[in-house]
Amino acid sequence: MMANPLLKRIWRHKLFYLFMLPGIVWFFLFSYVPLYGIQVAFRDFRFSGGFTGSPWAGLKYFHQFFDYYQSSQLIRNTLLISGLKLLIGFAMPILLAILLNEVRSLKFKKTLQTLSYLPYFVSWVVVVTLMQRLLTPYGGPVNDLLLSSGALKDPIQFLNNTTWFYQIIVGSDVWKNIGWNSIIYMAAIAGIDQQLYEAAKIDGAGRFRQIWHVTLPGVRNIAVILFILATGSLMSAGYEQLLLLNGPATAAIGSVLDVHVISAGIGEGRLSYAAAVGLFQSFIALVLILTVNRLARKVSDVSLF
Amino acid sequence: MGRRQFSLFSVFNYTVLTLFGLSMIYPFIYILVYSLNDGKDSMLGALYFYPRQFTLDNYVQIFDNAKIWQAYKITLLRTLLGTFLHVTLCTLMAYALSKKTLPGRTFFTFYIFLPTIFSAGFIPYFITLQKLHLINSFWVYVIPMLFSFFHIVIIRTFLQGIPEELEESARIDGYGDFQIFLRIILPLSGPVLATISLFIGVSHWNDWFSGAYYVSDKSLIPVQTLLQQMLTEAEALSSSMQRAAQQGGQTMNVNVAGATPESLRMALLVITVFPILCIYPFLQKYFVKGVMMGSVKG
Repeated sequence: MMANPLLKRIWRHKLFYLFMLPGIVWFFLFSYVPLYGIQVAFRDFRFSGGFTGSPWAGLKYFHQFFDYYQSSQLIRNTLLISGLKLLIGFAMPILLAILLNEVRSLKFKKTLQTLSYLPYFVSWVVVVTLMQRLLTPYGGPVNDLLLSSGALKDPIQFLNNTTWFYQIIVGSDVWKNIGWNSIIYMAAIAGIDQQLYEAAKIDGAGRFRQIWHVTLPGVRNIAVILFILATGSLMSAGYEQLLLLNGPATAAIGSVLDVHVISAGIGEGRLSYAAAVGLFQSFIALVLILTVNRLARKVSDVSLF
Repeated sequence: MGRRQFSLFSVFNYTVLTLFGLSMIYPFIYILVYSLNDGKDSMLGALYFYPRQFTLDNYVQIFDNAKIWQAYKITLLRTLLGTFLHVTLCTLMAYALSKKTLPGRTFFTFYIFLPTIFSAGFIPYFITLQKLHLINSFWVYVIPMLFSFFHIVIIRTFLQGIPEELEESARIDGYGDFQIFLRIILPLSGPVLATISLFIGVSHWNDWFSGAYYVSDKSLIPVQTLLQQMLTEAEALSSSMQRAAQQGGQTMNVNVAGATPESLRMALLVITVFPILCIYPFLQKYFVKGVMMGSVKG
């Protein structure tokens, strides 16, 4: 029975298959079953019927979404918010890594790095609570400081205010992630050959030219890869942050697809409709990432796959 | 000329970075100050770096609250159990996938990689949770977070760096596969296991979403969800109380000390954030490497 060499090899590795078994089952249940469940977007989903027992509805729910008077607004808001986050949130960690790299004192550098990771480790609920407290017009330190220094006459309502909404959304996103996202650039910079800097110095390059001609090219490849990855999430604006920060006052510019899926699906129980919106979102995201990947390969020889 | 340019740049750089560092830490200092200050006094504003009227009253009241204790218990339990199970199971899977001789290794790696490219989206996932009877159960915090592709890859990359000679010599000493894993591999994996424990531990500790959308039983709510529920209430409450307090003592006697919903919330925030802030600096050197490993072979 054990004559087949492949079977023999499999048998010899039996313990390792046992090690993998929980994972194989888990990925099946929590990744592949939901993939199979995508079909609810094309069905009139009833819980009793399950994924396959409910009647087909064709593209009904996709039509419903595109006929919805706010659908273009939702798409626009999503792209605008994630686009702003992509551009600014992508550049800031690189800038931080470059500035930190120019610091001579190792102690100062280490302390700053430790501090910069801090916000990454707290939840969005904590971040929003902090912002509510710091930015409140009723005795919050930011407004207090601006008022007492004479920079302001009246306190500013920062949250739930369309004037400040995008600044708050992008600013808090940068604040939370800048340190963490700079780790990889710090490592890339640390890997740059020191002789390149020496050579640049001999050629008469000052501080800025060294950054421009040595440091930036040194992080280029990793930056391209991270940019490709980030475009994949252009269709999602960050549901945790927006669930917490968007309210009725800012709904016109703050309602996004990710939150719409959750509120229509769980809040209103329109599961098939919400699944259709979510599928549209995933599909565009896939197209985006494939397109950018191809572009990157053409332009810079760097690509994911 | 070049020298002067350099020093100007340095001054600019140190200033910018110092301000940056302050912006990272100050919000946390502020809530600590607020939580240690008398609640009614805090409403007067102009509180910046130290408590004006020091008190531990806010913390005493927080720890007296049965609802908060229950929520804290849920958070602790799910974090400890969830982290232990996640790290154990991911390590087992990663170890198997690190075996170059394993038949089907490429297939199984692809099997767990594929869902990261195209996800089904929230609704099919939610229905799956329902079908598995996880909705409104404590296990919805633990089971859906048992595995992560990226964590498996990070552990696998680390394990592949352990010299094979170690295993071979152990085999000559008569160790079986399982003994090798237990006595050779695990003791060498400290750094990567610490990193993954931190990553997943923080995800468990910080998860408010599951508590808000998958659970309705109030006794199952974790601290983060409790904080989330306070967000909307607190805003309305604090603005009206604050206005009253600032418009002079007629509407409310501000000389009377006491906790306010806002000062209690800040104390709760401090005890929620504090455990993480104590742990992560010690693990810093490990997780920086972990981030690198995850990106090299992502």
